[in-house]
Amino acid sequence: MREPVAAPLLMRVAGVLVGCLTALLGLLYFVVAGAALGAFLLWPRTRARAHALLAAGARRLTALERGRRSLFFHDVFPEHRADDRQILRYLAARTYSGLLCAVVVGLVDFGAVLAGIFAVGLTRSSMTWVDVLSQVVLGGTLLFLAVQGLRALTEQDARLARECFGPSERELLQRRIDELATSRAAVVHAVDAERRRVERDLHDGVQQRLVALAMLLGRARRGRTPERADALLEQAHKEAREVLTELREVAWRVYPTALDSLGLREALGGVSERCAVPVRMEYDVPVPLPSAVETAAYFVVSEAVNNAAKHAAADEISVRVRQRGATLSVLVRDTGVGGADPAGSGLTGLGSRVAALDGTLHVDSPLGGPTTITAELPCA
Amino acid sequence: MRVILAEDSTLLREGLVRLLAEEGHEVLAAVGDADALLREVEAHAPDVVVTDIRMPPDHTDEGLRAAVRIRELRPEIGVVVLSQYVERNYAAQLLTSSAERVGYLLKDRVAQVEEFLDALERVHAGGAAIDPEVVRQLLIRTTHVDPLTRLTPRERTVLEALAEGHTNAAIGEKLHISLSAVEKNLNAIFDKLGLHRTTGYSRRVLAVLRYLES
Repeated sequence: MREPVAAPLLMRVAGVLVGCLTALLGLLYFVVAGAALGAFLLWPRTRARAHALLAAGARRLTALERGRRSLFFHDVFPEHRADDRQILRYLAARTYSGLLCAVVVGLVDFGAVLAGIFAVGLTRSSMTWVDVLSQVVLGGTLLFLAVQGLRALTEQDARLARECFGPSERELLQRRIDELATSRAAVVHAVDAERRRVERDLHDGVQQRLVALAMLLGRARRGRTPERADALLEQAHKEAREVLTELREVAWRVYPTALDSLGLREALGGVSERCAVPVRMEYDVPVPLPSAVETAAYFVVSEAVNNAAKHAAADEISVRVRQRGATLSVLVRDTGVGGADPAGSGLTGLGSRVAALDGTLHVDSPLGGPTTITAELPCA
Repeated sequence: MRVILAEDSTLLREGLVRLLAEEGHEVLAAVGDADALLREVEAHAPDVVVTDIRMPPDHTDEGLRAAVRIRELRPEIGVVVLSQYVERNYAAQLLTSSAERVGYLLKDRVAQVEEFLDALERVHAGGAAIDPEVVRQLLIRTTHVDPLTRLTPRERTVLEALAEGHTNAAIGEKLHISLSAVEKNLNAIFDKLGLHRTTGYSRRVLAVLRYLES
């Protein structure tokens, strides 16, 4: 989930000041409308109508507040309509906190004027150092309190807006839960897809070769002449060596043990060595990574490099693994024909693996190439 | 005999072609998918077809479906399927279409050259060949109450040999008992399984099916 970019400080300060003005508007509205509608609100037969009128006006002011939050604070609110009760409650609370904010801003201004007078007094040096010290301590303390108050009130302003317009804390939690449920399901799916692939590797590769090997031996035993038997045994021996190679490769694809023993850098070196296309590797990771992140990064590189070599007819692949702060970024670019399908099983599996670690995977592969696959993995 | 092979692994296909040629059989065609198999069978009319179950495009049961189709269209052609794992339902599908000139073998059985060739011969001769491993697993599974549990151990071994597709004489040889003892056991089996006096061969098949469905 991406946090919206915070607005620049100057904008936010302007937003707070504008908020003080709109709070005055709110106060005015409650006084005027309250006085006009007060009697009707108390009388049962007209209560509903009066309440609706009051809320309709409040809704306009609330829209103004919402606009102020979006403009000055870059808040992003979902499209949903709060009901009358929520609107009134929000406007009342917001007006109150806005007025308080106005008072604090007034105090700060007043303090600034006093500080100016004090500074002028200093230049005329008509004060003892005891006076200076006591003024500085007092002024500093009041300034601290005022700043704290302002901070608390601006936080409150943001929180009130979130509760009324959304997304509230609860919605954010709900969203996070949905995200986790989705990524968990995707991980299970990806694991199953991997297992299917391993089964296929074993069945289509290793097992067929073993059956063929046994068949060669069987034929050698039935061989009509010793020469014929020898030739078949020779073939069988060669076949046995090939089965071993195949088995080693399958096991390696299941899990590269070098990751555990030698680390990501060596394992990636193995990927580029086994690749038929030249791979340029840039590796810049100053501190050790968590093993889950290493594994995910390894599979992103290995899958992307294999795809590039197999499907993209690339003549060069460049890999860059870099750590910046708490993020590991993995980039694989090839000069091939492009057109990689992000919805394909391999890339979907990678996406799930990365999403499970709260990372993001991005595939950019226009027809005609080049293909760029980037993964950002948090490694805190 | 004249054979057509369907197997998607090139290595294994070549091995089978060589093996059959060395044994003096004629391999009319060797293909890598079910569609090509059906085309070749149409073109050549072989005596026996040997096909892998898992083949392109989906690697599920393409070969089995082709085999069932061949049995419908050309019942005179013997069909042997090679299965990756013991799949009771595949075996039953294949045998319910009719249990003459049919074989269901585990792929690994090919590695035991003599047994494989023997199974081919049996199918060619009009019999059935069911992999001993399939039979063994089915026997292990039949623990719930069904007619099979009423068989004596001796009757079970006889049924097992029958299910593999052996003739009475071969069963006698295999179990070291006389031919009349085999016939006595078989009659007891048919009675216990409630198979009425139908013609000899289909009764044997029904016994096997009862066995596969249990």
